[in-house]
Amino acid sequence: MKLKQGSFLWYLYLDKLYCLLSVRNVKALVQYFHLLDVHRKKTLNDVLFYHFLHHVTDLKRNQITIVFNMLDWNAVGEIGFDQFYMLVCILLAQENHLEEQFIFRHSRPVFELLDLDGELKIGPSNFHMYNFLFNIKKQQLRDLYHDFDITGDCRLNYKEFKLFTIFSMDKYQESQKAVKEEKESSAQK
Amino acid sequence: MEEKPFKALAKSSGHRGSGKSSPHDIRNLWTTATLSQPKLNVPLPTVREDSELEGSSVGGKTRWSYNQKAGHDSDGGWEESDDGEDKDNFKPEELDEHALMELEMRRGSSLGGPLEEDDSKTDSEKPSSVSSLNISKHTPHRAYWVEQQSRLPLPLTELMENEALEILTKALRSRQHL
Repeated sequence: MKLKQGSFLWYLYLDKLYCLLSVRNVKALVQYFHLLDVHRKKTLNDVLFYHFLHHVTDLKRNQITIVFNMLDWNAVGEIGFDQFYMLVCILLAQENHLEEQFIFRHSRPVFELLDLDGELKIGPSNFHMYNFLFNIKKQQLRDLYHDFDITGDCRLNYKEFKLFTIFSMDKYQESQKAVKEEKESSAQK
Repeated sequence: MEEKPFKALAKSSGHRGSGKSSPHDIRNLWTTATLSQPKLNVPLPTVREDSELEGSSVGGKTRWSYNQKAGHDSDGGWEESDDGEDKDNFKPEELDEHALMELEMRRGSSLGGPLEEDDSKTDSEKPSSVSSLNISKHTPHRAYWVEQQSRLPLPLTELMENEALEILTKALRSRQHL
């Protein structure tokens, strides 16, 4: 998934530590949402939502439908600002390669989004379905179930999922450190 | 918050009835509009940078740099640029504001309470009045610049509106085709 270069969302940015928008960015987003809320219901229906995502990203129709169903957690057929804000944070996290950090910082909401059935457990199919959003690679998924499925039921409860996020965050930080050290050593040379 | 300065503008234009259009008129009006407002804790350097932001044209010297996605370390987004030259260029205007403020302080009673208190200061309190003058020289503009700080830059506002319009137009067309 990529944001369209030069679109309004492309100019927003997440705080790198907490992976959330600043107040100023949120204010801008509120104005943007208000403009799109043409029916003045403080929500976006499925048509508006589709055209919005189609305009600002390269997502396909079926992917947009999946995202809409994921966010419409009350099943009312409309997306409110809370869900819109969540989506924008996810899109920006992916655009800025902050997926691991985002999932680590917001493990609970992400788990609840992935847990479509509300069973408090997520299986591989959940991850596959949203792979285009959270960018969890196949190898990572295999490692995830191999290392963290403590209960052995091939599904992760929240605690297991949280362990996974901590582990992948550590891995991400180590890789960042390694990259930094490489840069420093090449600069010294 | 946007209404207050405009109301003050209307009031003060009534009081003054001046037909002159000097570059300092607007600054005078802002001064009277915001004199009664509490002091805001805005650091002066950021206020000065923003004043230059507001003064610059959109198409020309745009201070808001859309520094995007240069890498993992880039914060991206619309950012203020720190231009040291602007601070130097601001000084002559500062002096004029100082003179204008002094004039207003002397007018005193017609402008209301806070000024009356300042007028009642004795000669022995001159140093403190001068220091308060220096503070109040910047205070009237703070509310204005803080407000400007909280606004989106114009190019981004236009982009947002145009994009929303495009999306809504597409949505409407798709509904019409059904």
